[in-house]
Amino acid sequence: MIRFLIPFVAVALFLLEPEFALFSPISWGDGVVYLVPRFVILYLIFLSIYYSRKRACIYGLLFGLLYDVFYIDIIGLYSFLYPLVCFIAGSSVKFIHQHLSVTTILSLVLVALMELVLYYFFYFINFTTIPFTDFLSNRLLPTMIANLLFLIMLGWAFKYLINARLLQRARDIS
Amino acid sequence: MPHFMNKKLILLLVGMIFLVALISFSLRDRQNASLPEQFIKDTVGFAQSIVAKPANYITGIFNNINSLLNTYEENKRLKMRLEDFAVLQAEVNTLQSENESLKELVDKESSLKDYDPLNATVIARNPDQWEEKIILNRGSSQGVKLNMAVMSSQGLIGKISLVTPFTSEVELLNTNNPNYRVSAIVQGEKKDVFGLIEGYDVERNELILKRIDSSFEVNVGELVVSSGLGGIFPKGILIGEITEVTTDDFGLTKMAYVKPAADFSMLEDVIIAKRNATIIDGSDGEGTNKDLTNKTNSESANEGEE
Repeated sequence: MIRFLIPFVAVALFLLEPEFALFSPISWGDGVVYLVPRFVILYLIFLSIYYSRKRACIYGLLFGLLYDVFYIDIIGLYSFLYPLVCFIAGSSVKFIHQHLSVTTILSLVLVALMELVLYYFFYFINFTTIPFTDFLSNRLLPTMIANLLFLIMLGWAFKYLINARLLQRARDIS
Repeated sequence: MPHFMNKKLILLLVGMIFLVALISFSLRDRQNASLPEQFIKDTVGFAQSIVAKPANYITGIFNNINSLLNTYEENKRLKMRLEDFAVLQAEVNTLQSENESLKELVDKESSLKDYDPLNATVIARNPDQWEEKIILNRGSSQGVKLNMAVMSSQGLIGKISLVTPFTSEVELLNTNNPNYRVSAIVQGEKKDVFGLIEGYDVERNELILKRIDSSFEVNVGELVVSSGLGGIFPKGILIGEITEVTTDDFGLTKMAYVKPAADFSMLEDVIIAKRNATIIDGSDGEGTNKDLTNKTNSESANEGEE
């Protein structure tokens, strides 16, 4: 049961992302604030740190490809970035303490870096012309705050789910 | 060991080249989806539309609560306008019947204003909002074609940018694409003035209406509607209201800032407008200059103005 729950949660988050995106952009004061939901990659970073780097990279490739084809129409952008982020997260396990708060901060830093790479990519191909300071204040900051809220609410659940799966696997082997 | 490293390095390099090739290949032609792409889009779109239903329901509840809180104020305002409305309704009815009888008199069958509405539900919005795009649950099997106008109850919101059999993508009006143009009319007091909606001012959150002849007068507060002369959109869809008029960069023509009538953020149900008059490949379209008018009877194509 738990075995199928891990990919199922990833699929559910993938389908929920665009529904949350319907709320954005929000007018805040005199500016417009963009909230980008990054649920799938946050979940995959958790998988990569607590479960298995290889598995997370494969999921990353799969969901990145779906994301590219369905939303972006530029194949190879997210299907490269998702596995890369998962790989970096999985490789960092040796150097960090695996506490929930540390993982939360690490995943937020990785997502912020990914947003930065995406900004430069879309700036480079002229899809956006907003200056860097606007990107920082109208996009990156609100996105990070929204995703932090998401992780505070559901990060422990991800960890609990992955631990349950690990325990089950250990029982199956023994 | 160095041999092993080399192998990894070569693999990485080949991967990078493959990646760049893939990105540039898919960037080149974004108006058409290849067969596997269509398949993935339709499958994900199907799953998405299942998820979208309860999600829309929940957002609907929130909206209802929100509007319930404003009921008293709104009721007061609406009551004030009700009397005006009755008079206006009577006037519209007489004008409509007069218009119809006059049309019969001159044997005019189709008008640029006529369109078949096709209701569609928004199933997703591009989550990383670098492009302003939404995805609808209607596709080519329901008769949706590229570049059709899409509007909400408030006004024009965009046009279809990609079609698969069961889904379609809408590029919203507030896009950053420099090739995105909508031919429009300013409804002045005496005379209609033509212009082109070209581009979106990110800082002001307003559309820019360019190429207005400088000899015409355009005033703040006048309404901008689609003209139907671009070739694909029907005539008379509300776009927005003028907030500022200036001259353009070269001082030859005027330009105006237009506050869009539609709200681009909380979109749920939209209408795709299928124009009845012959569709011509004009500035709203791809601009391929193909002659599309000779295939059908030329009566409907020749009439340009009301």
